Amino acid sequence: MSTDSFLTISDLSAGYGDARVLHGVNLSVGRGEICAILGPNGAGKTTLLRALSGAVWTRGSVRLDGAGLARRSPDAIARRGVAHVPEGRGTFMPLTVEENLRLGAFTRRGRGEVEADLDRIHGYFPVLKTRLRQVAGSLSGGEQQMLAIGRALMSRPRLLLLDEPSLGLAPLVTRELFRIVRTINEQERTTVVVVEQNAHLALDIAQQAHVLESGRIVLSGSADEIRADEQVAQSYLGYRV
Amino acid sequence: MAGFLQQLVEGLGAGAVYASLALALVLIYQFTGIVNFAQGEMAMFSTYIAWQFTVAGLPFWLALVLTLAVSFAGGMLIERIVIRPVEGAPELTVVIVTVGLFIFVNAAAGWIWTFLIKDFPNPFPGGAVEAGGLSVGYSTLGVLAVVAVVMGLLYLLFQHTKVGLGMRAVAANPDSARLVGIRVGWMLALGWGLAATVGAVSGILVAPLLFLEPNMMGGVLIYAFAAATLGGFDSPAGAVAGGLTVGVAETLAGAYVGFIGSDLKVGVPLAIILFVLLLRPQGLFGRAVVERV
Amino acid sequence: MRGPAEVTDGPARTDAPARGRALARSITPVRRRWIAVAVLLAVACSLPFQLVPFRVFQFTMVMVYAVALLGLNLLVGHAGQISLGHGAFFAVGAYAAAIMLDRWDLPYPLTLPIAAAVAFVLGLALGLPAVRLRGLYLALVTLAIAIFLVPLLKRFESVTGGSMGLTLAKPAPPAWTGLAEDQWLYFLTLAVTVLAFLLAHGLLRSRVGRALHAVRDNEAAAEVMGVRLPFYKTLAFAWSAMFAGAAGCVYTWVIGFVSPDSFVVTLSITLLAGIVVGGLGSFSGPLLGGLFVMFVPSISQDINDAAPGVIFGLLIIVVMYVAPTGLAGLAGRVARSTENILRKE
Repeated sequence: MSTDSFLTISDLSAGYGDARVLHGVNLSVGRGEICAILGPNGAGKTTLLRALSGAVWTRGSVRLDGAGLARRSPDAIARRGVAHVPEGRGTFMPLTVEENLRLGAFTRRGRGEVEADLDRIHGYFPVLKTRLRQVAGSLSGGEQQMLAIGRALMSRPRLLLLDEPSLGLAPLVTRELFRIVRTINEQERTTVVVVEQNAHLALDIAQQAHVLESGRIVLSGSADEIRADEQVAQSYLGYRV
Repeated sequence: MAGFLQQLVEGLGAGAVYASLALALVLIYQFTGIVNFAQGEMAMFSTYIAWQFTVAGLPFWLALVLTLAVSFAGGMLIERIVIRPVEGAPELTVVIVTVGLFIFVNAAAGWIWTFLIKDFPNPFPGGAVEAGGLSVGYSTLGVLAVVAVVMGLLYLLFQHTKVGLGMRAVAANPDSARLVGIRVGWMLALGWGLAATVGAVSGILVAPLLFLEPNMMGGVLIYAFAAATLGGFDSPAGAVAGGLTVGVAETLAGAYVGFIGSDLKVGVPLAIILFVLLLRPQGLFGRAVVERV
Repeated sequence: MRGPAEVTDGPARTDAPARGRALARSITPVRRRWIAVAVLLAVACSLPFQLVPFRVFQFTMVMVYAVALLGLNLLVGHAGQISLGHGAFFAVGAYAAAIMLDRWDLPYPLTLPIAAAVAFVLGLALGLPAVRLRGLYLALVTLAIAIFLVPLLKRFESVTGGSMGLTLAKPAPPAWTGLAEDQWLYFLTLAVTVLAFLLAHGLLRSRVGRALHAVRDNEAAAEVMGVRLPFYKTLAFAWSAMFAGAAGCVYTWVIGFVSPDSFVVTLSITLLAGIVVGGLGSFSGPLLGGLFVMFVPSISQDINDAAPGVIFGLLIIVVMYVAPTGLAGLAGRVARSTENILRKE
């Protein structure tokens, strides 16, 4: 994985105001990989994603395909190809589904491409196509999550950050969602970092995983290695190996 | 009955002016949650700029276009320089800063152009359309038409352009707007620029009816506040509906409630503000907001 | 935390360091405050005998403004509510006093408690709906009230004298004092000011004051903690209206004339400017604000009619950026750093 590292995080600390949440995180993600971040509540998983997208203060370095991202503003990072689907989805509630999707392509030029991408998104999430004129606030939780991911894809991201995509969704919907994320990753070679409470699901689609505790990486490895780890099995998977 | 309709029409004419300033207030409130107490003074300052252009010999409509452009740039500059540093500060701080801006702009206009009143050219011809016992002045029609055009342009901007979509995204959810790569700071500045432009239109519409002087917009501002409160501070359409309603209410009260007469008319917006805030604080068209601890 | 004074203040260092240090140690903050108040009072009492009548009049007006600002400070600085219409309560106090003196020939000392009470009741009445309003809307409503008051005063001509206003005899100094009129008015105002400051001081140290601070710091949280929000907000509004009304009453004594055009909305905005620049939430803020409101216009008017407004506007904005505690905060910082120098020597 270190031979072709696409996203490289070195000695990254981050936090809010005086509170430091991350303490020197190191990890790297290969091009086109899915990387799962596991860990208990309050471990700093969400903060890690927010640090990557520039929403919190950071110290240390973040490199995407060799270019530095750390300490840039969120909008500048977004323009460099990082799409963050925040916890709670962050859709534009009063705007229509179509407007939400088009906002995903806000920083792009070329009308034709955007229209083609809209079709592509409808391919992944057919339900959105039937709801184009509805305001986002009227969608169900699952549909909102699809909309949020669809919006992220509209920017043709090089790196997709997903924060707890399963939160508040029914198990069936969640499984479907993860299947689609896998498809997107395979078809478009989009690199994905996913933070997830549901470790089973995350490990099913990820190639590699990291366990974060109290702001530090305590365990790294391939998805299979992590799944086989006794500690992880007990804490996050709910069974003994 | 004809008399009543006559009052109604005149009320609409007055209301259109309030609507345009209310629209300016709402534009800023939507993006930033700030009620800009200096909005009226900014409009007054723009009107002086227009006056200066006409005095320099420019034809009225050219002076108007130039003034709108200057106002737009001025509004953006004010956001960048004056408002930026208090972005996200407590409401009290922001209100006080806009009040400071109010005093400053008012005095600056007095410094530059003195406090003596000036005649402002009326862009519309005198005379009136007579129909069925009704007499509608060209200037009333003109004011209504201008406000309709401004509304239409804003609608096009917000609903059918990419920038407009971006601005609505910022109003709906600034954090997410950043995440999709929108430069939120610039959108806020753009909002102030637009508001200053729309405000300039209202100042230029008012000036021929009143006289041009630094305190010209003080009264209009209260009516615009009433209009925006009535329509809901987060609804541009509501601001216009509110403005027309306030204009009509004021005119009718002045004409038919003997006690009020013409000198106590300014009590009408006060009453409207109080009633709306106590009965339906979000206004007729606004969304209710839940406050968090 | 090195203030500018630390660098520039030399004399204390070179004078007598040892004595300075001992002095500084023996003076606790509380005692220092009382010493400052005593010095201030002594200076205030000697002023009218040192200055020409016009200056005495100006300092009288400083105190009138200070009393009004004391009220505004209670509301804005301590309760975190905003009023853009305090000039209206000032006007109500002024007119109440004028009408009592003009129509009923009441002895003027009686007009003070009555005018204050009228303003208090009016503040209570307006405070009841006002407390339901979020800060922003309160600003809107109070501004509208201030604007509405002027035509209202003009309208009820039979009572208020309409646009012409009312002209009254100023309180005459009793013969035993041997004071001139301007000096007598000065001391009357000084007495009211001292009373007002004591009252405000007492108020803020009471349960009410603590509740107000809780409201200012986090309204919603204060409510959760069981502060009876509407009650205290209404009370803060009424108290602050009362101070403004009292100031208005004294204004009538001092000027001997009231007219609607003395109380246009500019007065309200000037008062807000005064308390913001003087120092929100501080004890000396109203006094410094009074000096500011009185002297900045009279000095800068020579440059241009609009100069006071330009200065007010700019200063309000600058103060909010760099020194939210205003002049009082700056003065406090200077005093503290001076003291630090004494300690360090």
